[in-house]
Amino acid sequence: MSLVQNFPFFSIIIAMFSGIFSSVLDGKKARNLSLLVIVLTTGMSLAVLHFCVRTGQSYTYMMGHFPAPWGNEIRAGVLEGLTAVLFGLVMFFSVTGGMDHTAADVETSKQNLFYIMIDLMLSSLLALIYTNDLFTAYVFVEINTIAGCGLIMIRQIGRSLSSAIRYMIMSQLGSGLFLIGLSLLYDVTGHLLMSPAKDAVAGIEAAGLYEVPMLVIMAVVSVGLAIKSGLYPFHYWIPDTYGYATPTASAVLSGLVSKGYIFLLIKIFYRVLGRENVIASEIVNVLFVFGLAGMLMGSVHAILERDTRRMIAYSSVAQIGYIYMGIGLGTQAGMVAAIFHMFTHSATKALLFISAVGLYEVSKDQKDFRSLQGSGYRNPLAGIGFTVGALSMVGFPMLSGFISKLLFATSALQSPHKMLPTVIALAISTILNAVYFLRLVITLYTIPEESSENKREEPANEEEIPKRRPVLSPGTWKLHLAIVSFILLNLTLGLYSQPVVAWIGSGLAMFD
Amino acid sequence: MEGNIKLLLPVVMPVAAGIVVLLYPGFRQVRKSLLTMVLGTLALETVLVGLALAGEESLRLWQLTDAAALILGVDGVSRLFAVLTVGVWLLVGVYSTAYMEHEQEEYRFFGFYLIVLGVLLGLDFSGNLITMYVFYELMTLTSLPLVLHERTKEAVAAGLKYLFYSVAGAFLALFGIFLLLQICGNQTFTPGGVLTGMLGAGVASTEGAVTDSLVWGKEGLFLTAVFCILVGFGAKAGMFPLHGWLPTAHPVAPAPASAVLSGVITKSGVLAVLRVVYFVVGPEVLRGTWVQQVWILLTLLTVFMGSMLAYKEPLLKKRLAYSTVSQVSYVLFGLSMLQPQAFVGALSHVVFHSLIKNALFLCAGAVIVMTGKTQVKDMRGLGRRMPVLLGCYTVVSLALVGIPPASGFISKWYLACGALASGTGVWAWLGPVVLLMSALLTAGYLLPLTIQGFFPGADWDKEMLKLHAGQVSQELHWEAAAEDRKKAEPSVWMLAPILVLTAGALLFGCFPGALIRMLETIGAGVL
Repeated sequence: MSLVQNFPFFSIIIAMFSGIFSSVLDGKKARNLSLLVIVLTTGMSLAVLHFCVRTGQSYTYMMGHFPAPWGNEIRAGVLEGLTAVLFGLVMFFSVTGGMDHTAADVETSKQNLFYIMIDLMLSSLLALIYTNDLFTAYVFVEINTIAGCGLIMIRQIGRSLSSAIRYMIMSQLGSGLFLIGLSLLYDVTGHLLMSPAKDAVAGIEAAGLYEVPMLVIMAVVSVGLAIKSGLYPFHYWIPDTYGYATPTASAVLSGLVSKGYIFLLIKIFYRVLGRENVIASEIVNVLFVFGLAGMLMGSVHAILERDTRRMIAYSSVAQIGYIYMGIGLGTQAGMVAAIFHMFTHSATKALLFISAVGLYEVSKDQKDFRSLQGSGYRNPLAGIGFTVGALSMVGFPMLSGFISKLLFATSALQSPHKMLPTVIALAISTILNAVYFLRLVITLYTIPEESSENKREEPANEEEIPKRRPVLSPGTWKLHLAIVSFILLNLTLGLYSQPVVAWIGSGLAMFD
Repeated sequence: MEGNIKLLLPVVMPVAAGIVVLLYPGFRQVRKSLLTMVLGTLALETVLVGLALAGEESLRLWQLTDAAALILGVDGVSRLFAVLTVGVWLLVGVYSTAYMEHEQEEYRFFGFYLIVLGVLLGLDFSGNLITMYVFYELMTLTSLPLVLHERTKEAVAAGLKYLFYSVAGAFLALFGIFLLLQICGNQTFTPGGVLTGMLGAGVASTEGAVTDSLVWGKEGLFLTAVFCILVGFGAKAGMFPLHGWLPTAHPVAPAPASAVLSGVITKSGVLAVLRVVYFVVGPEVLRGTWVQQVWILLTLLTVFMGSMLAYKEPLLKKRLAYSTVSQVSYVLFGLSMLQPQAFVGALSHVVFHSLIKNALFLCAGAVIVMTGKTQVKDMRGLGRRMPVLLGCYTVVSLALVGIPPASGFISKWYLACGALASGTGVWAWLGPVVLLMSALLTAGYLLPLTIQGFFPGADWDKEMLKLHAGQVSQELHWEAAAEDRKKAEPSVWMLAPILVLTAGALLFGCFPGALIRMLETIGAGVL
């Protein structure tokens, strides 16, 4: 066994222990440790990806040399490596981009807590990606939830506390359903490791036993994870959560956390329940319909919204809808498109949140999107970053969003019954996206009129105003680094998507 | 990347130059260096395009996804559009050096002006649907700052309208393109269409083997897709029902921007439609279907409606914009006939209308710069001050109306003959009738300016006196009246491009042989 094969385990453990270790460090050291850990784990994931691409196969890693039915396992393949690398990159740049704001928004004595949450979040995401064991998955789902709550409420203003509670309740509902699904599955199959569980499921399906429990398992697992990833109509926690957290937290939560659950769902579909069984059970059709609804309603909500960050958050609802629609198509191509869109959305949404912060800093930090008038001139790089992100979400060519749309459309055309609804929903939702994103972009480059400047009223609800703190300088190099890197990531996904798509395809093939 | 790299140069070079102009602060301070840079780039671009067009090369850039590659290529159509684009861009560029002196932030205008040129050439050279779509969207984005240039509230609103119409149209087209890609793949543009060959092969091999074709059983969907593409790309060409942006965007943009918007960018909508109908779907597949019927109806409606709206529009630039709506649909009408002669008429009208409309907008711009007048009724007696300018205006107006031997006559002649020979039932005669009526209206909305400009009537001087009656002393107001009659032609930088365009509009009408032969070769390839 080569050293590289240990890396998935190492990265999870390093991230976890750095979290524990950070509790005795002060804020700055904890932050540096976090960054170091993110870099390390991303490097390791890159090595894993390289290893899997080179050998052309996946491997399972036994924890503590206990053989299959009892021991715990980790599994790494091309898709796991790729996802871990991209998540690591997005995580790193989200943390660097929002670093100064974290320092300003979070109490000094609690800085290290924030970075503990980041470490735990990273560790749980990596575990969700790599694990080959259902119960380990559940444990890390819970860790992820707790870390997420911590990230949201650490800002300690009224709205963020209530939104953290809302997030907690919805997440617990999702985790609970997921746990019920796992328990039933354990009852039926007697296994918690994915590979033996899959064999057992195959046996059960072949014998035609447990029809209703299997259906319930599929439904409960899917719905549980769908709630946690914010699929319409379970999205009510999203706008507040993403809208009021610190920028890093918003970027990480919307860019990564929801994707972690989706990745787990896909993994369970392929590695436990069996793709054919899931398709036969028509659960995919339910996901498909909810996905379509999300695509449209998310955008409609975003159009009605006035607050920029909530607008971006609602756009997440729409994009999650895209991903579930891809899964719901029930074809290999649809799945590839969904996973690619996961990456697109991670890179783009994080870019949007981080650049939006740069724009807020130069616009008196008000909620209404009209207050951003002219901010594209006051902070040019943030303006460009936001524009690129918005165009990518709308699906302009050369950017990653266009490739997603192309993949969705081509995959939709291969499934005759879902072709028309998909393509029509794609067209409508694209235009809806264009309506609010281009409106925002134009606002950035509109020169505000003097008269409206003077009589701009303060928001009525005092609670809504975040604590006044000194305005940060708009052009720190960290923010710039993050924005430029995200733009490059976007362009890379948009221009050189072919290898990524090929990796996703081969990674999915390794799942079977 | 395989193929001839010289195809990429005319696309990349102006974009790079434009970015330099936008970013390098030196160009904001020293006007002379800015102008040198812009004119130098335009001249170099002309050479590069000439080189690129020399052969029938193609260049595969890279795979976007497994199914979609970006390909550039040169054929007859791209030659026609590329030459037209570069020529117009050069002339309008020269004009802008004088015109933009009166505007703020020139570097921004010129920067985007160069970038759009590169993108447009990319569009002209596109070798397949995806490449074309990529450049099409880029064109919308990069041309937006030209419309927004003045950044007044009005300009922003107009820019938004332009953006929304273009984007909505483009995505409507994208919807159709997705379906088309499924049916015929992302093949390179083939004269006569990709599908026609497939259908033909199917029939030839065995009896009733058309079932092999992918279209079989999905005709309804397929035709809907084509229709979406037509309407979607038609937005850029100002075709009803997505024509609304044209009359809003043109008056607020600076005159050179309106000129190229109207003269060249609307034509890229035409190019996109042309590529889809004649190079992907194939005219034989569309002939006689409901798509063709509705398409003809839409174009004729637009021709008539545009002329009517122009006729009652008091604002000169807006009137010209409505005229563009109507005239570009002449081209689309010619294309919708799916008939060789009409095809030639359509493409020649692309060239002629481009020359003419550019000249008209440049004239309007010159009038605005020299006198500040925008309403047609205020331009009485203009001919006394600017006889050469108004002379040019008159000549190109007559050309647009279609008075022989000016160029408009040639294209309309081919359009009418093609329509009559097209065998499309009622449209075969209704089309020419509408074209004739619209020609009358064209005369009705363009020529009043000429008539009032040169022949303001006997009472004109007195009116001028009344106009200046508010002046303090008698002498002053005599002086002011005299001022209004003094010759005040625009500078030679402005006048020369207009003269060249006018000469082109006239000479192409007198000696259309070479152009028509070239277009007939293209037409023979696709039909």
